Amino acid sequence: MAKGKKYTVHKDVRVDFTPMVDMNMLLITFFMLCTTMIKSQTLQIALPSNEKVEKQDQNKVKKSEAITVILDSELNSEGFPVKDFVYYYEGMPEVNQEGDQIVSNMKEIAFLPNENGKAQGIRAVFQQRNKQVLEKINVLKESWKAKQINDSVYQARAKEIRNDSTLTRPVVIIKATPNASYASVVTALDEMQINNISRYQIDRINATDSAMMTPYLLKRLKEKK
Amino acid sequence: MKVKTEKKSPFIDMTAMSDVTVLLLTFFMLTSTFLQKEPVTVITPSSVSEEKVPEQNLVTVLVNTDGKVFIALAGDRDSTQSSDKVRMELLKNAVSEYNRLNPSSAISLKQSEVETFGQIHMFGLALKDMQKWLQMSPDDRDKFIDPKENPNCGIPIDMNEDVNKPNEFQIWMKAAYNTSNYNLQTAIKQGKGIAVKADATTPYSIVQVVMDNLQTLKMNKFTLLTALKTEAE
Repeated sequence: MAKGKKYTVHKDVRVDFTPMVDMNMLLITFFMLCTTMIKSQTLQIALPSNEKVEKQDQNKVKKSEAITVILDSELNSEGFPVKDFVYYYEGMPEVNQEGDQIVSNMKEIAFLPNENGKAQGIRAVFQQRNKQVLEKINVLKESWKAKQINDSVYQARAKEIRNDSTLTRPVVIIKATPNASYASVVTALDEMQINNISRYQIDRINATDSAMMTPYLLKRLKEKK
Repeated sequence: MKVKTEKKSPFIDMTAMSDVTVLLLTFFMLTSTFLQKEPVTVITPSSVSEEKVPEQNLVTVLVNTDGKVFIALAGDRDSTQSSDKVRMELLKNAVSEYNRLNPSSAISLKQSEVETFGQIHMFGLALKDMQKWLQMSPDDRDKFIDPKENPNCGIPIDMNEDVNKPNEFQIWMKAAYNTSNYNLQTAIKQGKGIAVKADATTPYSIVQVVMDNLQTLKMNKFTLLTALKTEAE
C-alpha cells in the first residue's frame, strides 16, 4: 500500500453470493419440512338417527335388492387389526345346520383393486348388481370427458341417475364386527362411491350374522395353525 | 519435474443460483399452510372421494388407536368469529354445562386462562384437569396431552345414549354447536362441520364409540378424513 499516491484500481465489483445461497437453501428446507402440501380428503357419511322407529314406519329393504357385507379383521397380539376379511350374502340370510356343519349363503370375498381395468372381488359383485345405473353413468361420463357437458351438470345428472327408482339398484348393508379395522369400513364406504350405489347403511352385526360367520372363523383358525 | 499450473480463482458466480433459491423460497412461503401440532400422529385410510377438508368452521375429532379422543376447532374467516374467539366461547359453554351437571366439583376459570385456551389448536383432557393444564407452560401442556407421556389423557368418553346426562365428549360437541358462530352450526347441520380423523389400523369398535356418541347428539351427518387414492387401486 503506497501512501499518497492516487491511482484507481479497476476491480470487478463481485459479491460472493455463496453464503446467501446457503442461507436460502436452509430456509427452503425448513419450509419444505414444516408444511403440508396435500390436503386431506373427506368422505361424507350420514348415519341413521337412533330414535326408535315404529315397526310399520320402518323402511323394509326388498329382499332381491339387499346385499349384506360383513367386515372382520384378524388381530395381532397387541389387539390391532392386521388382516381384513370380507364376507357377503345377497338377500335374506339363509342358515342351516347340517350335522355339525353350518351351511349358509354367505361367501368369502375381498376388496381388490382393478386388474387390467376389470373389477375384481366385491367390486365385481357390486358392479353386476348395479349394472343399470353404471351403464347410464358411463354414457354420461363419456360426454363429460368429451367436454360436451361441464362438471356441475355431470354431477347433477349422475346424482339423478343414482337415485332413479325405476332402475334396479342394490341396497348395501355394511356390518362391521368390533374387530374390523377402521380402514376396511372406509374402504367399504368407498366402494359405494366407486360403484355409484346411493342406498347403503352401516348396521350392527346380529346373532344370525355371527352364526353364519362361524365356519369361516374355524377355517381361519385352522389356517393359522 | 515441475509443472506450472495456471492459477485461476475458482470463483463461481452464485447470483443466478441465489435468484432461483429466492424464487423457490417465495413459492414455498406463499403456498404453505403450517402443520398444526397434534398430540398423536395418525395415518388416515384412503378413499376416492375428492372433496377437500374445509379450513374454516370445522370441529376435528381425532381418535388414536387406543380410543383416546382429541378435539380441534377452527373458527370462521370473519374476525368476529375467529378461531381463538370461538374456542374461548367453546370453553365457557363447556365449563358452564359441566358445572351444571357437577355442581359439587364446579370449576371457575380466570379470563387469562380462557384466553390461553383460545390459542390452543388441539386439546384432549378431562375437564377437571383443565385449570391445572391451562396454567402449565406450553411444553408441559403438550406433554400432558401426549398419550406416551400421560396415559390418562384424552377426553373422557363412554357409551352414553342419554342426552340429559352427557359425557364430556358430548359436552364439548354440544358446546361447539352452541357457540354464536352461526356458520359452524350450519356446517354441522349439513354434515360438513365435523370431521372424524382416525388411524387406518384402529379397530372399528373404537371409532364406533365416537360415532355412536355423535348419533346420540343427533349429529348424524359428518365426514371422515381420508387420503386420496385412485379408483384403480
